[in-house]
Amino acid sequence: MRTATIARKDLEDVVRSRLIWAVFGLFVLLMGIIGIASASDGDSQITTEGLIGLFANLGAWLMVPVIGIMIGYMAIVGERQSGSLRILFGLGFTRRDVLTGKLLSRSMVIIIVTIASLLVMLVMAVFIADSFDLGLFAQFAALSILLAVMFTAIAVAASAITATRYRAMGAAIGAYVLFAMFWHPFAAGIHYLIVGELPAYEAPEWYFLLTRLNPLEAYNQVISVWTDQYVWGMIGWVTVVEDVSFEDANSLLLTERVSGELPFYLSDWFAGVIIILWVAVPIAIASWSFNRADLN
Amino acid sequence: MNAIETSRLTKRYGSVTALDGLNLEVEAGEVFGFLGQNGAGKTTTIDLLLDFIRPSEGHATILGYDVQTETDEVRERIGILPEGFDLWERSTGRRHVEFALEATDGGGDVDTLIERVGLTPPDAKRSVGEYSKGMKQRLAMAMALAGEPELLILDEPSSGLDPHGIRRMREIVREEAAAGTTVFFSSHQLEQVAAVCDRVGILNEGLLVATDSIEGLSSAAGVGNELVLEVDGPVSEGLEQLNGVVDVHTDNGELRVGYADPQAKAQIVHHVVDCGVTVQDFTIAEASLEELFEVYTNGDETGGVSA
Repeated sequence: MRTATIARKDLEDVVRSRLIWAVFGLFVLLMGIIGIASASDGDSQITTEGLIGLFANLGAWLMVPVIGIMIGYMAIVGERQSGSLRILFGLGFTRRDVLTGKLLSRSMVIIIVTIASLLVMLVMAVFIADSFDLGLFAQFAALSILLAVMFTAIAVAASAITATRYRAMGAAIGAYVLFAMFWHPFAAGIHYLIVGELPAYEAPEWYFLLTRLNPLEAYNQVISVWTDQYVWGMIGWVTVVEDVSFEDANSLLLTERVSGELPFYLSDWFAGVIIILWVAVPIAIASWSFNRADLN
Repeated sequence: MNAIETSRLTKRYGSVTALDGLNLEVEAGEVFGFLGQNGAGKTTTIDLLLDFIRPSEGHATILGYDVQTETDEVRERIGILPEGFDLWERSTGRRHVEFALEATDGGGDVDTLIERVGLTPPDAKRSVGEYSKGMKQRLAMAMALAGEPELLILDEPSSGLDPHGIRRMREIVREEAAAGTTVFFSSHQLEQVAAVCDRVGILNEGLLVATDSIEGLSSAAGVGNELVLEVDGPVSEGLEQLNGVVDVHTDNGELRVGYADPQAKAQIVHHVVDCGVTVQDFTIAEASLEELFEVYTNGDETGGVSA
């Protein structure tokens, strides 16, 4: 199994990266500080839902993308620029072996890092939460791992498509910035172009689909449903680009804003499909592009 | 079947032609020197053979397999030492060789390979981030040899190596050749190529300007060995008619007789003496490869040895 050989070798190298573990340590520290700060917040009850809401924001919108991109963006372009890709080819590996092997190994690394973060969070939750729901935490963990793998996959794809490490980093960070900062105003802009005004509280269903094609938004919406609370994104665009009131944040839940039964594309499971598509489509494009590219 | 065969192999980047219609045949079992200055298109050729880049025109086969459509078959049978590479810094040298053996399903032995390229067991235990350029070069050679390739492609293999390293590398090339491996030896250094190669191709600005043995190239280019005689008088006619003599001229009072056949030397001396001229001293001037190279790469194929 050539793919397994290359994946195992790559995994050994990446796991030894001090930079990745340093950033991981920094984020864990940050998580700890925020967790303890919220625990010492006096009278309010600390629930699993509350903690998940807190970490879904910081973790999913900042920590997971940053580490995911760091782990993935050098995967292929690094070998290409250093010249070691020629050695891999000489050892019998094909372009497909390299892309698949690297995707596997880098996914493994981000899974390890995410599980480590989740374990830290689990320990904190057990200690500081007044009640703890393991089932809910497991669901949250699974979705968070999927999101983390997605960011790494996008970075690996960028690494296969571009010819220099800076372009790979730029493309991967660009995708993240698009998701975290610009997607929502773009979606609202499209609504404005079609409908003639900014989306209102009861916006059309296609608009909600458009916003949740952003994997971070999809993730937030699912976490919102599971924890029965509105989970904010890093930037509260909803109050800027939509004509809504945010006095009661939970009124912004999708289930509140869409009357009647949700269409399938606004359901929980479809959010998972969207995130998986954000793995599959970039990798498919990367595979197509990498198989055709001159690699010097 | 040829080890390497290219037909009109061409690579263009926009308006720049990196390789222009290369027709090359490297026979199985030979050590082929691929000579050219930096930027002549040597690495472009190797990259095309490796399917690292795609040709603008033409095609190539390695051991009968098309390099583009039968990449798996090709890559299973070659070993490559590329020019200018980094290895995986956090892994040990030993792990690199283990990986190469795993990848090539080679039954070879890690320690044997490491020893063969002249790395010591303590070197092999260190991580490659601590390696010098020469050590990396040796390690990559060990990786190239893993899996006993039928064709060994070496791109500037002596770069970064000290004289010991170069000697070891040449010994390896000779050992491999003796075992039947074809070696494609790309270099801009003539003495490296001349030391190990059976035949040489000269590449200049993307064009293959000559292919022959070193001796054949020399005589074809008129760059031959010369007998330089210090004489006390003019030499009568007839020298040029001698077998093996290609050129006669006088330079700074020295008589210089170019020959293609080494056995012509004695006859030359006899002839001069027979003419009643006293030979005070004589030396042999061997054609330098630099001169040979100049002749081909300047497109001046009729040039001779300059004094």
